[in-house]
Amino acid sequence: MDGYIAQQLLNGLILGSMYALVAIGFTMIYGIIRLINFAHGDIVMIGAFMTLGLVISGKISFPVIIILVFIGGALMGILIERVAFRPMRGAPQVTGFITSLAISILLQNLGILLLTAQPRNFFCPDYLQTIYHLGPVSLRAIDLGIVVTAVVLMIFLVLLVRFTRLGMAMRATAENLNVARLMGININRTIMLAFAIGSGLAGVAGMMWGGKYGQIDPLLGFVPGLKAFVAAVIGGVGSIPGAMLGAYLLGFGEVLFVGLLPPIYSSYRDAFVFTTLIMILLVLPNGLLGGKTEDKA
Amino acid sequence: MKRTIFGTFAVLFMVVCFTVASMAAEPIKLGALYNLTGGMSSIDAPSLNGAKLQAKLINESGGLLGGRMLEVIGIDTKTDQKATATGAKKALSKGVVAGLGYGDTTFVMASAPLFQAKGIPFVTSGATHPELPKWVGNCMFMTPFGDDDQSFAIADFAYNKLKARNVVVWTDNSMDFTKALSKFFKQRFKELGGKVVLEDFFMMGDKDFSAQIARLKAASPKPDAVFISAIPNEAGLTVKQIREAGLSLAIVSGDGFDTELVSTVPGPKLANDVYFATHTYREDPRPEVVAFVKAYEKEYGRPPENAFAPLGYDAVGLIANAIKKAGTTEKVALRKALAATMGYKGVTGEISYTRPSGVPMKAVAIVGVKNGKYDLLETWVPEK
Repeated sequence: MDGYIAQQLLNGLILGSMYALVAIGFTMIYGIIRLINFAHGDIVMIGAFMTLGLVISGKISFPVIIILVFIGGALMGILIERVAFRPMRGAPQVTGFITSLAISILLQNLGILLLTAQPRNFFCPDYLQTIYHLGPVSLRAIDLGIVVTAVVLMIFLVLLVRFTRLGMAMRATAENLNVARLMGININRTIMLAFAIGSGLAGVAGMMWGGKYGQIDPLLGFVPGLKAFVAAVIGGVGSIPGAMLGAYLLGFGEVLFVGLLPPIYSSYRDAFVFTTLIMILLVLPNGLLGGKTEDKA
Repeated sequence: MKRTIFGTFAVLFMVVCFTVASMAAEPIKLGALYNLTGGMSSIDAPSLNGAKLQAKLINESGGLLGGRMLEVIGIDTKTDQKATATGAKKALSKGVVAGLGYGDTTFVMASAPLFQAKGIPFVTSGATHPELPKWVGNCMFMTPFGDDDQSFAIADFAYNKLKARNVVVWTDNSMDFTKALSKFFKQRFKELGGKVVLEDFFMMGDKDFSAQIARLKAASPKPDAVFISAIPNEAGLTVKQIREAGLSLAIVSGDGFDTELVSTVPGPKLANDVYFATHTYREDPRPEVVAFVKAYEKEYGRPPENAFAPLGYDAVGLIANAIKKAGTTEKVALRKALAATMGYKGVTGEISYTRPSGVPMKAVAIVGVKNGKYDLLETWVPEK
């Protein structure tokens, strides 16, 4: 039975890391321009298909693919920011939110048009599929990769925001866009870079998603997008460690909900997720690690 | 400028020609409702391809009722029940003489009653709930066997051939089809003397089954097989994740597993010891099957994806057969002709509506997956 609990905790950790990969990019964009970007999940989808395309097209090694997918996701993010969000800078928050929904639907339908809605299988090198048995628990190399990538990227992002010039510019932009501009910060460039980094991370998350589940389709971004949103809200939108924390809470919560309650409740895991979200927002409207934010909308 | 005028006339001329031609022999319209996007797409898209292929072949050999062409109007209902009802209304407003569609009961129940209300026959190509004709009414016709038959077939196979005594049952709790399949499987398996040691549940769209798998691993007494009642979207995912967790017990299921995803998602190394009951056609030497596979490959450049392609083909075949017999597309006569179908030689087996339940009595194929390859292991025939 102890082995059972250990396995479930490990499952929660892996699922949480998967959500964290998506959530930290999401929360980064929100933190800077207060934009709830629903198209974030669809960049995950694009990342997954990009990986599949690169794997099929030739003998590119997996680490190189990670870099290419990061760059591809980043370019996609820059494109979206340039085309859809920059023209409406200064518009009320809700405008950006609705625009992001529109982009999301556009990307999903483009995906269906170009790739058909049929789910397809994902290729992953054998060494990522290796199964390790550690006492009573087992996990795969890709799971390990997901956990490590999530933690490393989070640390990298926190350091970036705290200690670099770009990070300082980002924090200033987040605090007050207009004052930052008066201080000589190139806010267009700062916001563009935030989008690039956040979307690049989403691309990598898509790659991990495909590797983990082995099956991808043009609508796959919806669920991770939604879960990332929930994770970010639980953790306090805009806070990178908060998003990470929220994602882990969500991952553990989902798995333990299914694992510890009688099986008949297994199919209600998403209901549990959203109930938790409502409860946390009732008690802590700014999330677990969210500071007091002033809403300008 | 001259060119524009010329162009306008050319277009007008074509429109006139087209109208005249279509007045000469008005096409017979069939409304084909399918989920071409979303979770059901890997079942439904091949069905529509099969349906369109049948119509094309009929039209190439001169159409029906003295040269009238069959027109299959495909409507995508997006694996969404609201879109399904809207799609049914759209089809009806276009003046279809019959409806067809779906590989799943839930979506038939969202559309067929609207056809029933207008007295227009609806033939489901792949929905297998044995009480569908009872629920909807006398305009409801089934191309496939019922879930009871396929569940009994795989339960018999699991008990007699795989010698399974203890099983775990996983059910997708979001669909009528998957719930019915599990119900009939449990019923038969217990009748045979086997034991269901654990039941677990999930929802369509779930991606992560790690929590259920951990429980499956811990189940006691140790199960010999797990019955997974799922649709294709979850079929490959569950097989992959169960095998990756190091579990090697047999995985059994129904026709929801009849998809290439079962072998491609886990890959040939892990796609082992999977057995499912499905519609007879795979590896079958009957002339209807051979001709169908050849025509499908010629039309779409690939072999039929799964049994739902020939089922769509058979659904249009059933309707065309009834139109020929009735000699008209009038709804009452057409419904009667459909109900009187006897010994229609479909690709997925012979179809006769002799049972009082309205469910055709068809043989069930048991297919096994070994190293990613599908093999027909046996054919199960219902007793009554």
